Amino acid sequence: MPKIQFKITLCDAPSCIHKHSKQIRQALDKELEKQGLKEKVSIHLSGCLGMCAKGPIMIVNPGYVMYGNLTENDVPEIVQAHLKHNKPVARLVIGEDHLYNRFFRIFGDVDFFGKQMRIALRNCGIIDPENIDDYLSLRGYEALAKALTEMTPEQVVAEIKKSGLRGRGGAGFPTGMKWEFTAKQPGPEKYVICNADEGDPGAFMDRSAIEGDPHTVIEGMIIGGYAIGASKGIIYIRAEYPLAIKRLEKAIAAARENGFLGTNILGSNFSYDIEIRLGAGAFVCGEETALIHSIEGSRGMPRPRPPFPSVSGLFGKPTLINNVETWANIPVILLDGGAWFAGIGTATSKGTKVFALAGKVRNTGLVEVPMGTTLREIVFDIGGGIPNDRKFKAIQTGGPSGGCLPEQYLDTPIDYESLAKAGSIMGSGGMIVIDEDSCMVNLARFFIEFTQDESCGKCTPCREGTKRMLEILTRITEGKGQPGDIEKLERLGTMIKKSSLCGLGQSAPNPVLSTIKNFREEYEEHIYQKKCRAGVCSSLLSYTINDNCVGCGACKRVCPVDAIEGTRKEKHRIDQNKCIKCGQCYQTCKFSAITRA
Amino acid sequence: MDIIKRKRAQAVARIISKGYLSTKRVYVGMATCEIAAGSKEVMDIFRQAIANGLTDVYLSQKGCAGRCNLEPTVEVVEEGKIPYKYGKVTPQRAKDIIEKHLKKGEVIREWLI
Repeated sequence: MPKIQFKITLCDAPSCIHKHSKQIRQALDKELEKQGLKEKVSIHLSGCLGMCAKGPIMIVNPGYVMYGNLTENDVPEIVQAHLKHNKPVARLVIGEDHLYNRFFRIFGDVDFFGKQMRIALRNCGIIDPENIDDYLSLRGYEALAKALTEMTPEQVVAEIKKSGLRGRGGAGFPTGMKWEFTAKQPGPEKYVICNADEGDPGAFMDRSAIEGDPHTVIEGMIIGGYAIGASKGIIYIRAEYPLAIKRLEKAIAAARENGFLGTNILGSNFSYDIEIRLGAGAFVCGEETALIHSIEGSRGMPRPRPPFPSVSGLFGKPTLINNVETWANIPVILLDGGAWFAGIGTATSKGTKVFALAGKVRNTGLVEVPMGTTLREIVFDIGGGIPNDRKFKAIQTGGPSGGCLPEQYLDTPIDYESLAKAGSIMGSGGMIVIDEDSCMVNLARFFIEFTQDESCGKCTPCREGTKRMLEILTRITEGKGQPGDIEKLERLGTMIKKSSLCGLGQSAPNPVLSTIKNFREEYEEHIYQKKCRAGVCSSLLSYTINDNCVGCGACKRVCPVDAIEGTRKEKHRIDQNKCIKCGQCYQTCKFSAITRA
Repeated sequence: MDIIKRKRAQAVARIISKGYLSTKRVYVGMATCEIAAGSKEVMDIFRQAIANGLTDVYLSQKGCAGRCNLEPTVEVVEEGKIPYKYGKVTPQRAKDIIEKHLKKGEVIREWLI
């Protein structure tokens, strides 16, 4: 096979399609064929590249040459000059110093990255996070300088409002409004908090963002402080992220040294400093009022809202809390403009979202995609599909607060509203792919076990209710489920959701309720037929020896509880009373003589 | 605004003085996830090679690019070429990358992402 010499990335988002990117693709195919370059050039389609005004966009690697405002008539010239004679067509090249998608230059030709668009993670995996020079060289702290010298605090808030950015911690509250509320409160003492208490099992977006590019979070927080008139910022991060903490400390020290933190920042009369507070890793402390209590030194427990933290937060003062990813978006919005940001995404959700893609998928990892990307694109195009030819069963979003969506929801475009409508939530960005080898009842049990454990105990429905739900689910997975258990779970779940104070309780039953809604038959099988179709719930399995047995004795030797008996060269049998269903005999047998049912 | 532009120019100058314009730039992923996968040992190998006289190479750490199941990752960037991205780099592979790719310019294709 001839070597690929050029990789072409074509924007395949609606606005570029509208401007005939599909026709360009056809023209390109035709022209390559004509000039005999078909084997040497590969074409990839990407999601929105964020330059809709200059679309359609085409990027040629190596060299990261970007062409814009293309028409079909330009194609032959590009093929002839650039792809054949390696001379880019200068007339059509657009060179802009954008902040986002810098990773394209290095990773643009890998399919995993092709459909991504990186704003919050723009520097992750590209710069040295411990060297402020690397950040500065990529227009670092320029947004801060712009805010301090060219904009009033009101203008900063207005720009954020215009961008349509919404809280990336999961609830999706409009960030600009939050800033406006806090800015309007009387001062002088106000606080800015960065919520880096990432607790969802399987989620690591915030950790990677901080470890890969701590300065962007710090810059965002300084701008936030300027906008609302605060002089103190606090980063609340869990102690189990030692490397992230180390890099933050280093970054804060470097920012101070360069005059981005401290008194009279960059010669202005604005003074501001940031300190780090360590959390002990309680899930409930991701809830903003519990987090504030934890910083104040009391027990991490939520309190009723209102008053919201923007009115009465840390130490009773107006407080602006945002998530790591939200802060990371701020510098880009100020530099490239709120209007630009609002052009990405769907009608109600703007910009991009970072997801930690995990579970039964080929390419696990961190992905940042524009809002409106479908779940299918994430799982199959970016994630590369399910390994070992297994079938896709469901996707779990939002961690222990979210739900499981089966195959019919795969074409749901990702935004806050559509995910909620499908019965899950956006959440902070955990995304777990589930294949047919996983048992949905057991999965629901796992999440309830987690929330039951993490419930702070303030509200009875959450404290006792999740415990009872766990008991019922455990009973079902052990084969002792009773008729009526499903209805009981539904009733309990609905009640906990309605009567809990904070987000933990209000969302804890979601994994159970959504699996009952979408996979009710699996629950019924567990209860009535004592069967686990995925073969996960070990109590529901039984192992017997069939006539294939030649009496080799291999199973007898591996059985840890001596439950197998039989003389050599004769059929063995398993003593069901002794068997602990570990499955070792099943894996060891070379003659398929052990039946698992 | 002027202050920040000056600072950026200084920063760029400092990076260049560290050898950024070398023919080859090597980036090793060093986030918690990558360190857990063994990138610290890989980084040490590259550091050692440079201490032992490997020249014309700019070595830097970087954060997680998000390619978790292929970590640790190492990128070799040369101007005007598609950057080479190696996945699952073990200390042994790192030594081979130094010997073959960095010293002789032979890309080890089967380890590329």
